[in-house]
Amino acid sequence: MNALAAQALISARRALHQRGELAVRVAFYAIILVIFSALWSAAAGANGGSISGYDAHSLLWYVAAAEGSVIATKPRMIESIGWDISSGAIVTEMLRPASVVGLRLAAELGEALVRLVCSLAVGGVIVWLYVGQPPSAAGIALFVPASFLAVGCNLAAQHAFAGAAFWLRDARSTWFLYQKLVFLLGGMLLPLEFLPTALADVARALPFASMAYVPARLASGHVEPWLLLVQAAWLAGLLACAGGVFWAGERRLEVVGG
Amino acid sequence: MTVALATLRTAFLEAWSNRRGFWFQVGIMAANDVAWVIFWVLFFRKVGNLRGWDTHKVLLLFAILTTVSGTGLGLLSNSRRLGELIAGGQLDAALALPTNPLTYLLTRRVDTALLGDLAFGPVLFVVAGDPTPERAVVFVFGALCGTVVLVGFLVALGSVTLFAGGRGEQADLGFQAILIFASYPIDVFGGLTKLFLFTAVPAAFVTGLPTSLVSSFRWPVALGALGAAAFFALAAATTFRIGLRRYSSGALWTRV
Repeated sequence: MNALAAQALISARRALHQRGELAVRVAFYAIILVIFSALWSAAAGANGGSISGYDAHSLLWYVAAAEGSVIATKPRMIESIGWDISSGAIVTEMLRPASVVGLRLAAELGEALVRLVCSLAVGGVIVWLYVGQPPSAAGIALFVPASFLAVGCNLAAQHAFAGAAFWLRDARSTWFLYQKLVFLLGGMLLPLEFLPTALADVARALPFASMAYVPARLASGHVEPWLLLVQAAWLAGLLACAGGVFWAGERRLEVVGG
Repeated sequence: MTVALATLRTAFLEAWSNRRGFWFQVGIMAANDVAWVIFWVLFFRKVGNLRGWDTHKVLLLFAILTTVSGTGLGLLSNSRRLGELIAGGQLDAALALPTNPLTYLLTRRVDTALLGDLAFGPVLFVVAGDPTPERAVVFVFGALCGTVVLVGFLVALGSVTLFAGGRGEQADLGFQAILIFASYPIDVFGGLTKLFLFTAVPAAFVTGLPTSLVSSFRWPVALGALGAAAFFALAAATTFRIGLRRYSSGALWTRV
């Protein structure tokens, strides 16, 4: 087994053993689902049962998928990576005979996948009980790989974003901004069809849509397989970007010092 | 009171000592709040009126929420971390001081980012809340009552660590739950959930009642808000005091 796979496996096991944290996160996700179920049911009811092509049934599956895909990653990861970089703690990781960003991504991926599976299992049951089965079996079949790709895109983008700390020495609070970009332009809070047309077009062209909108769109019964290709392309681009940022940042540390 | 104010002043000066970081974090939080305002504007643009709520009213709710979180979680930052402080053995240092330990802990730390909320809330009220002198007074009254309920609820949950041990996970979950429930119009929830918001997770008293008061003032509702604030203040003080009697030490070497 190579180092990255071993790291992902160890992290997944660790996440499974941190039962308190896992339970809090899944409970938080369940609370969000209860709130959004009430909000979107009321909203659809007040608009004759459908808004921008989504009825209450598809909206709730949209929300469960979008929230579940995003909640799997740690919300303040950018802050903690930035801290490791600015404090110099990352230097010890550079001594290992493996890619720093690769090992970090593998560790986060292992944990995130455990949280993703647990959250979606609970969320699926809640929404199923609330509005019934998913709108489309084919949509759900496409949603499964889409949710994994979404987590991958999110992790890679957060590492690329946090890598700015190699130069800025401070990534505190920037996670707020990143999070809001995922919430709004990524379609986590609202389907992109709810945005004004021009803004929706911009949002579709950005990577954030691959982190929430794409899996949610598929889970809400819109069978659009080409969205998986968009996600795969963004994943490759974001991984290259994160790798490039860390490579340049590590060279800078080696030359200038931490 | 003097000790509490002096401690709060020290905590604020500590945050203020890094001016660049201070303004950066305040600015980031204000930008975060703007994102939520955009969400609500987009939502009601599509949905229209929802059970008596529109953009105008929900922005009033958001102004109250940000003011409450700025006061209760920004100025009294440790209110959400009490369980964690107890579990980490940091209560012991406060017990040695000649002052009320709970007051000291609550005023000991300021969360700079959340001070952005404290600045944003009143500004949003002025911009979107149709401010008149009467409405402004009710806004301040509602926000204060909401703050006491929020802080009281979090302190009571954090104090459970004194009895039950753990790392304060229950306080963390309570914090997440009350804040998120308080962010949404209470009338979208029905039956049991609404009852839940007036009892187990009292989010209705944090933003729902204050928003209703500012929209249309009624004495019974005002007395309800005041009663809830008194109840949660008392519950927090009592839970902490009783817990403290059972507490021996949080020092790691005392745990077997």
